[in-house]
Amino acid sequence: MLAVLLGVALLLSIMDSTGNLDLLLRLIRNPSAPVLEWTSSRADLVDDIVSGPRDLQAAREEISLLQSRIDELERQNEELNEVQGEYQLLLDLFNRARQEPDLRRLTATVIGRDTSLAMRSIIIDKGTDDGVVVGMPVESARGLAGRVFRTTARSSQVVLITDNASLVAARLGSSRATGILKGGGIGGSMTIDWIDLKHQIEIGEVVLTSGLGGKFPQDMVIGRVSEVDRREADLFQRAIVQPAVDFDSLEMVFVITDFQPVDTEIFSSPTGN
Amino acid sequence: MSSSVYLAVPVMVVLSILQSAFLTRFPMFGMVPQLPLLVALAWGLLHGINEGVMWAFWAGIALDLFSAGPMGASALAFIGGVAVATWVEQALPPNRIFLPPLLAAVATFISLFLYMLLLRVLGRAIPVQSFLDSLPLLMLHGGLILPIIWMAGGLERLVTVRGSRIR
Repeated sequence: MLAVLLGVALLLSIMDSTGNLDLLLRLIRNPSAPVLEWTSSRADLVDDIVSGPRDLQAAREEISLLQSRIDELERQNEELNEVQGEYQLLLDLFNRARQEPDLRRLTATVIGRDTSLAMRSIIIDKGTDDGVVVGMPVESARGLAGRVFRTTARSSQVVLITDNASLVAARLGSSRATGILKGGGIGGSMTIDWIDLKHQIEIGEVVLTSGLGGKFPQDMVIGRVSEVDRREADLFQRAIVQPAVDFDSLEMVFVITDFQPVDTEIFSSPTGN
Repeated sequence: MSSSVYLAVPVMVVLSILQSAFLTRFPMFGMVPQLPLLVALAWGLLHGINEGVMWAFWAGIALDLFSAGPMGASALAFIGGVAVATWVEQALPPNRIFLPPLLAAVATFISLFLYMLLLRVLGRAIPVQSFLDSLPLLMLHGGLILPIIWMAGGLERLVTVRGSRIR
């Protein structure tokens, strides 16, 4: 029996990795969304009970309101810093294009988190019935959260930018350096590798999406540089990024529904095949 | 196939929903225990290797429903971990207090290793550091296995109808 179960598990892994189980898994996952939603709401209740007595409810709501206001102001502040960086580089003409476009957003509640230790993803309560499709960017009030990876009719799985497999084309706010931001997975840090040494990266510098590659809109806040690994003997430097989003307490997100990801795969082969 | 599969499937689906929507909200010492793995191991320690690997299989399948990882990867990893732990148990002198935590650590280590290895084979770039960062889970699982074995025993008694055991 051991050999049979191992064989079945291996076969399923290979079939899922090659996309042959998508339809079947969607059928199985779809009914689980309402159950997850209900369980998640019970978790909220337990969280409330654990976090403090009932008479503090009003105070907590006010704190929550103020916290969201602070988040919004911090976000605006980061966007202002970004604009200032552009002025410094005399890119006034491009400012309009670089400002965050007026994107349409769909509010979604986080109803589940990845059960695997090696993956960083969340499950949200919006799916194909709400117009969500694979590839759509997802952000929180504080910045970029991830990208829709799988969908069912009533839920979607979003791979967070902190996942090991996540790659985001990023740009630094002041130094204008660009690179690919890699997720660090569990316990790891997000990093931007291969940054040219000519850029003087400052700690605290804002990290934004560059829009290169067409997977995310331009100028979405990702986080701040928390550490710079720079050695003059090397050809490149590396920046470690502290995400703006607190992924452990993510409860509400926005799916950007009118952004069309660009398929750049055609350019990866010289023949276009 | 044992009739306990009829118990394993619903139990593991419920545990996986709890794992995804509930346990991940309340980390213990900064870590989220893998409850389905622990229950499968507890069942394996109570009923032997065949029952254990079957429960581990369904634990992995149910968990992968709520994961971005490939379907079946957790099943394969859990089967490996539970099989080795229950096999080691048979080779060691019985001890109800000290052996289960050790076996939980062994099963967790092997499961983590196999899972990360499989992801790498399937093209997911999982750094070694991720594996090392997950190792404190061995101690957490070691601490949780005893109450889970007691609860698994209680579950078995609960579903035993008129003296006919579910096996």
